[in-house]
Amino acid sequence: MTSVSVIDELKRTQILELLEQGKRVDGRALDESRELKIEPNAIPKANGSARVYLGDTEVICGVKIQPDRPFPDTGDKGLFICTAELLPLSHPTVETGPPQPPVIELARVTDRGIRESHMIDVTQLVIEKDKSVIGVFADNVVVDYDGNLFDACSYAATAALLNSKTPTWEMVDEKPTVVEGGEKQLPINTIPVSVTMAKIGNYIVVDPNGDEWASMDSRVTITTDSDGNICALQKGGSDGFTQDEINQCGELSIKVGAKIREQLKSVQQESQ
Amino acid sequence: MADKRKYVIPGDVITSGPFRPEQNVILEGNNIIATAVGISEIYEDSVKVIPLTGKYIPKINDLVIGKVISHTSLSWELDVNSCYVGFLPAQDVFGRDFSTHADELSSKLKTGDLVAARIANFDRTRDPLITISDRDLGKIDDGVLVKISSSKVPRLIGKKGSMIQMIEMGTNAAVTIGQNGWVVVSCETEEGLLKAKKAIEMVNEKAHIANLTDLIKDMLDGKDES
Amino acid sequence: MGGRDATMVLLDENGIRCDGRKVDEPRRIMIKAGGLKNADGSAYIEFGDNKILVGVFGPRDVHPKHMSNTDTGILRVRYHMEPFSVGERKNPAPSRREIEISKVIKEALEPAVMLEKFPRTAVDVFIEILQADGGTRCAALTAASVALADAGIPMRDMVAAIAAGKVADTVILDVNNEEDQAGQADMPIGYMPSLKKITLLQLDGVLTPEEYKKCVDVGVKGCELVYELQKKALNDKYFGNRGD
Repeated sequence: MTSVSVIDELKRTQILELLEQGKRVDGRALDESRELKIEPNAIPKANGSARVYLGDTEVICGVKIQPDRPFPDTGDKGLFICTAELLPLSHPTVETGPPQPPVIELARVTDRGIRESHMIDVTQLVIEKDKSVIGVFADNVVVDYDGNLFDACSYAATAALLNSKTPTWEMVDEKPTVVEGGEKQLPINTIPVSVTMAKIGNYIVVDPNGDEWASMDSRVTITTDSDGNICALQKGGSDGFTQDEINQCGELSIKVGAKIREQLKSVQQESQ
Repeated sequence: MADKRKYVIPGDVITSGPFRPEQNVILEGNNIIATAVGISEIYEDSVKVIPLTGKYIPKINDLVIGKVISHTSLSWELDVNSCYVGFLPAQDVFGRDFSTHADELSSKLKTGDLVAARIANFDRTRDPLITISDRDLGKIDDGVLVKISSSKVPRLIGKKGSMIQMIEMGTNAAVTIGQNGWVVVSCETEEGLLKAKKAIEMVNEKAHIANLTDLIKDMLDGKDES
Repeated sequence: MGGRDATMVLLDENGIRCDGRKVDEPRRIMIKAGGLKNADGSAYIEFGDNKILVGVFGPRDVHPKHMSNTDTGILRVRYHMEPFSVGERKNPAPSRREIEISKVIKEALEPAVMLEKFPRTAVDVFIEILQADGGTRCAALTAASVALADAGIPMRDMVAAIAAGKVADTVILDVNNEEDQAGQADMPIGYMPSLKKITLLQLDGVLTPEEYKKCVDVGVKGCELVYELQKKALNDKYFGNRGD
């Protein structure tokens, strides 16, 4: 969260007491994530979109695809940019104004998770080398907050990209021009899935909700790809993990990630 | 009285004529207009609207549940689920001989603690003054906090306490209801605690349904589908 | 404004508009009260292809303190468009257009909200445009009014809004994006239906004195239609369809 939200001491004590019995306040197992609902094509006028509910956390991602100039040193690659914004209506403590460090971290971690997996084959997004490429922008907005924005944004962006249709452009008189009837899916290599785990006392819980997020000592977000390899990782929070805990988290991210990948696969299939 | 009740939204004309406008109602020309979403009631010489939504507005002597959000060396600030932050002076807890050198506030109440408290004083020119110096007030050590809309509190209490008594007896839980919509539930058994929580949440969601009492009773008896 | 597509037929010989509507026909409107878990009040509206979400917080403490008013609560409105809401991706930073619209909507709501009973507080209205298709400020104002009622903010009336306009020398109701771009006039109107006061009014384009009066009239009647849907949204949430 962007500012200090005072948790009930009572609540944190209860969370720990339940964890000692192997339970969580909402009845989940420690390695269980909340119900994930994905609504693809939530914003029909965008090139692709998805609305994602992870428990009570709600994120909408809209994808815009448009011609752009390539970066100077990568004229043979298209652009992929992923952002995340915490909307003030998502929680009373969210302020308007330039994004605070936690939100910048959220955006960059979401971007890296997808980028490092090479989900989108950007070499296929070139209109004319060094002159004109296709830019894919995946913008996440958090609409309601109940913990674990890292995973919610990752799922929303991934689902939106799987749902996306890109026009085809060709250069006409030095200008990128849309080719009629040239709509197709984005070139997708893999489906990245992030899994965030929180450490509360000596316990690791998967997909912390709002109360668990406020009570946690530290957290780690691990992204895996369709081959089961780990491609991105971010540790946050003011406490530390032991080596065993980090290894445990790696295994959990593969196991839990595989389940969620199945849901995202069906988004891909529906969109074809 | 029943046929003089109407569902209203802001701007609705409830009636016209020589009535005194009371809560959530204004006089505009000759018309009595609702200013809130709720149920209007026309009495002999006055009209009011019972709101179905809206934040808690402190009233003197109300019992509320509060959460400590900060403190200075002289007082605590409490979140009481209202537009204003509650003010609890150190003297209320330490007594008149309170001294900033000798008495450390966080030894009694620290940030994040929940308290059962009473509104000692309030008017809109200053923040509500809180007291916890009665016997049934003070820091809450045990129990689960359930948040409902403060406008649903009368429904949770019920006529002469009938609804809350039914819930307490059907679950063996002890429930402290804050007028501000914050409710603390404690129970020896986890099953009773979950049932009581569920009953309270049901009242919050279904307050406008006529046979709510029966629905809750069925749930407590285990007769409902879930 | 200016004609972007001079070849688009905005009104054909049968009096049918470019999206199949008649001159006095508004687009499909759907309003839902509530929906957000953390906001004190919320509403969602679909107005044609516009999709807009509004969240309200308050009355609540004002920070920084110097912005608060000792005599009355203050109203703050933020109208914000998501990057994916428009044809060409929009930069997330607030534009001058968004800032102006925020102010205009705030001043359209102020006559309705009663904040004198909440000195030193603020009521925050956050408008998020998820998908835009002409007339967003009217749809946003309409939803904001429902969100404020949902939050229990005392109001002397609701505020409903719609735009009247002119295409092919004909006054129309509810201007869509194409009509806004290529038409002759666009007049957004916000109206309090019980007190019968216009609280939002802007004009883009050229109208004769008669057309001007007709636009206002068509707009006000359109607002009354929109108001019925605001009532329905609140009825559905609070009165379980039992409202009289």
